[in-house]
Formats: sequence, C-alpha cells, structure tokens
Amino acid sequence: MSTAIRQWRGFKAATRLGWQISSNWTQPLVFVLYSVLRPLSAAFILVVMYRVISGGGANTAAYLAFLVSGVAFWSFVQYGFAGLSNGIAEDRGEYKMLKYVYTSPAHFYVYLLGRGLAQLASAVASALIVLIVATIALGLPINPLHINYPLLLAGSSLALLAVIGLAMAFGVLLLQARDAHGYGELGSGVLYVISGAIFPISVLPGILATIASLSPLVYWMESIRRSLLGSQAIRMFPSLSDGDVLLRLLVTTAATLILAHLVFSWADRTARQKGLIDMETNW
Amino acid sequence: MSHPSAMRIFLKTIVARAYPRFVAAYRNRAWLITETLLPLVGTIAMIYVYRALHAPARFLGFVVLGGVLLAFWQNVIWAMATQFFWDRGAGNLELFAMAPTSLAAILLGMALGGAYVSLTRAATILLVASVLFGVSYSLSGLLPALGVFVLTISALYCLGMLLASLFLFYQREAWQLADAMQEPIYFLSGFYFPVRSLGAVVGGVGSLIPLTLGLDAIRQLILPGTPQFIPLSVEVLAVVAQIIAYAALSQISLRYLERQARQDARLILRST
Repeated sequence: MSTAIRQWRGFKAATRLGWQISSNWTQPLVFVLYSVLRPLSAAFILVVMYRVISGGGANTAAYLAFLVSGVAFWSFVQYGFAGLSNGIAEDRGEYKMLKYVYTSPAHFYVYLLGRGLAQLASAVASALIVLIVATIALGLPINPLHINYPLLLAGSSLALLAVIGLAMAFGVLLLQARDAHGYGELGSGVLYVISGAIFPISVLPGILATIASLSPLVYWMESIRRSLLGSQAIRMFPSLSDGDVLLRLLVTTAATLILAHLVFSWADRTARQKGLIDMETNW
Repeated sequence: MSHPSAMRIFLKTIVARAYPRFVAAYRNRAWLITETLLPLVGTIAMIYVYRALHAPARFLGFVVLGGVLLAFWQNVIWAMATQFFWDRGAGNLELFAMAPTSLAAILLGMALGGAYVSLTRAATILLVASVLFGVSYSLSGLLPALGVFVLTISALYCLGMLLASLFLFYQREAWQLADAMQEPIYFLSGFYFPVRSLGAVVGGVGSLIPLTLGLDAIRQLILPGTPQFIPLSVEVLAVVAQIIAYAALSQISLRYLERQARQDARLILRST
C-alpha cells in the first residue's frame, strides 16, 4: 500500500473518530442546539452590552455586525483550538489511546489534522446559525448575494491552518502537565482578547496591541468583516486594502505554522524522552 | 461499644468532604491557574468591549463584579453539579452510598469547601481587575453588599446541590450539559450588563438563578447609578426564599434520585 493511501486512511479514521467523540453523546438535533447555544448567548451578551451603551439608536447595525461576526466565527477557534488541544490530553488520559496513535502507520500530524477538522465541522454549523439568526433578528447588513466569498474562503482557510497548527503545538505542550484541565479554554480565552473578535485591537494597551497585530487571527477577523459587510464593515485597519489584509494573513499564518512546528517538535521530543505519551493522569 | 450520634456523623462528613477542597485550593497549582485566570481573562475581554464603546466607568465595575460571581458559578457547575458524575466515574460514588452517612452531608461539605476555593479565586479577580482598570466602589454600601453576597452564595450552592442530584442521571452528556450552562447563564444573569436591560420577562426567568438578583443587589449597593431591576429589599427577600426553596428541593430530589439510581444501578455505572 502506498504511503499516501496509508496517510489518507489514517486521516479519515481520525476525522471520523473526532466527530464521533464530539457528537455521538446525543441526538443530532440536540447536538446542533448544543453547538449554537453558547455562541448565540455570547452574541446576545454583546448585543445587550452595546444596546445599553448606544441606547438602541439608529446606525447601530454596523457595530452590531462587527460584534456578531466576530463571535460567530470565533466558534472555529473555540472548537479548533480548545477542542483539539483538549482532545490530545483526553486521548492520553481519558481514553488511554495516545500511545496507539503514535504506533499506528499514520503520521501524528495527519491524525491531529483529522481530529481538528472534525471539530471544525461543528464550528461551521454554529457560525452559520448564529449569523443567520442574528442577521434576521437584528437586521444586520449581511446579504448572502453580496458576500465576497473568495476573500471569506481564502481568509478562513489560512486562519484555520494557523488555528490547527497552534492547537497541535499547544496540545502536545500540555502533555508535559499531569493535569491539563481547562488549559485549552484558557488558551482560546487569551486568543479571544488579542484577536479583535469583539473589540478593535486599538483599545488594547501598547504591548498587547503589538502582539495582537502579529496574530493571524486579527487579519482573519478583518477579512471576515470585509467579505460579509463590504463597505459597511467597521475596519480595524482602514489604511489596508483587502489584498494587503490577505497578504498579512498569509505571512502571519506562515510564521505561526513555523513557530507551531518548532514548539510541537520540541514538546513531542521531550514527551517521548520523559515517557509522557502513556503517562497516567488525573482522569 | 458506643456509636456516634447521627448528628455527629453528619457534621464529621461535612468536614471530611470539605477538607480535600480546602487542601486542594493550594495544592493543585494547575487548577489554581485555570480557576483564577479563566474568569479573569473573560472579565478582561468584556472590560475592553466597554472601553471600545467608551462606556461610563461604572460599567467596568458591572463586569468586574460579574467576573467575581462567575468564579462561583463555574465552581458550582464543574465541582458541584457534575461532581457525583466524576465520583461515579472514579468509583467513589458507590463508596459514598455504602458509607454510614447521607449524600446530603457529602454535598454540604462539597459546597462548603467549594465556596472557600471560589472565594480565594474571586478575591484575586476582584483585586487584579479593579486595580488594572481603576474600578472604584462605594464604601458605604460595602457591609450590606457583603451580607447580600453571603446570601447569594448560600442560595447558589443550594442550587448546586439540586443540580448535583439531577446530574446523577446523566452519563457522557453531563460534560456537555455543564458546558452549555456557561454563556447562556452569563446572559440570563446579566453578568456583564445591568439586569434591567434584559427586560421583565427574560430578567424574570433569569431571576430563578440566585446570581441574577444577588448580583443586581450588590451592584445597587456598591456601584451608584446602577439601573434598578427590582427594589433592593425585594431582591434580598427573593434570594432568602431561594435558599430555603433550593435547599428543600435538593433534599427531596436527592432522596428520590438516589433511590431511583439504586434501582437502575446507576450508582456504579462507569460512564467516563
């Protein structure tokens, strides 16, 4: 059997496994409800916060769209980052199968990519439902016929690569810990603050704003808003063209992937040397 | 040989179950970090949302106080409601059921220890967020606010005991259910905005969670200018009523569900 077929089979099995773990605890309808409940509530929280301050006056739709689009697409980071990095710890501690993944013919990267993509399937449904509900309920200026789909797809594909890369590195790094409960959520919480998802990064203090401007997630959020809202989008980088935003996203994603690969390799090597792959943990 | 009285066993059980939580408050550094930083990071994110909107300073106080009570809610969900679920997975629940004591005493001990753990985390959040963002409070309302806080936490942990008995019936979905009780509850309880903004119907539904009325009362006392949801005295009375109601309901529910769990052999079901 060729290497490519072996890797493909490993990828398929990992994706299916990831999907089953995240979704087969209940019926499909309940799972969909569960997937949208949190982001929808998060969007409502921001809408109420904004309405309290703005007084619900006219011309509020653009800022509401800024908030809602950020929250809706944040599901990708929530599921992709927290879900995947927690998944690695669960594979070791709860299911005690990480050692078998290491000994299987599929490359560990391929396995993790499959696990990560399964998480993202839930995120797609969640983002779509939040956007549809919010657009109808709040009268957001999002028209499916006027969306810049190439920009949306290109931006999201790059950002998702970065998210999965970060999650892989963070997840393997967490193997060093005996108890990694909550660290995936903590990591995605930190990214939330510096991603421009719910407020422009210009509000952050100097050093944090600089760090944020090096993150691909900021340019992803910018590209999402530009593609969904066109000229009505509130821009974090008004001086940049769409092409510039995409270029910055490409460069920061490449840098993130290189950094993630270095961290992953170091953490993986250390975990093997210390015998952490099959360590008994606090499950 | 003399046997200890039922009351003595009850009280010793409370102390015994609270003890690991007191110790774990400092021993498990991994939890120390997540239990403090998770609510703190969420609180900081919301503070920046208000800053971006150029909101008046008291709104930052709304968020900080929400973040303080958020630490308690997370403790109630992850260390009370789901605790019997974890205990069952670890094989402890069957030992609890065999022990010559009541599950109610075990839950009370859990609540006591959990409240202490959350208090240490909440104090850190209050201090760090208030100093970082220059939030100030009215000192004249501090003492009554502390009284309302104690009542609110008591009601909250009574609700936690009720949820713990209900969660006995969940298996793998317990984790997801607890997960789903985060943002929706933050919304319904008005963690980040005045409860009044929710309106009468949504605010009324949210008032079933003790945090909603308690948080609003505390804000009214130490953050002057807080839009009033309902009068302060009514909120305090409602929280007291919730303590009584949730304590009684949790005991009824615990007795019924424990009997049911024994019949269905759910006390020893391995689900994790």
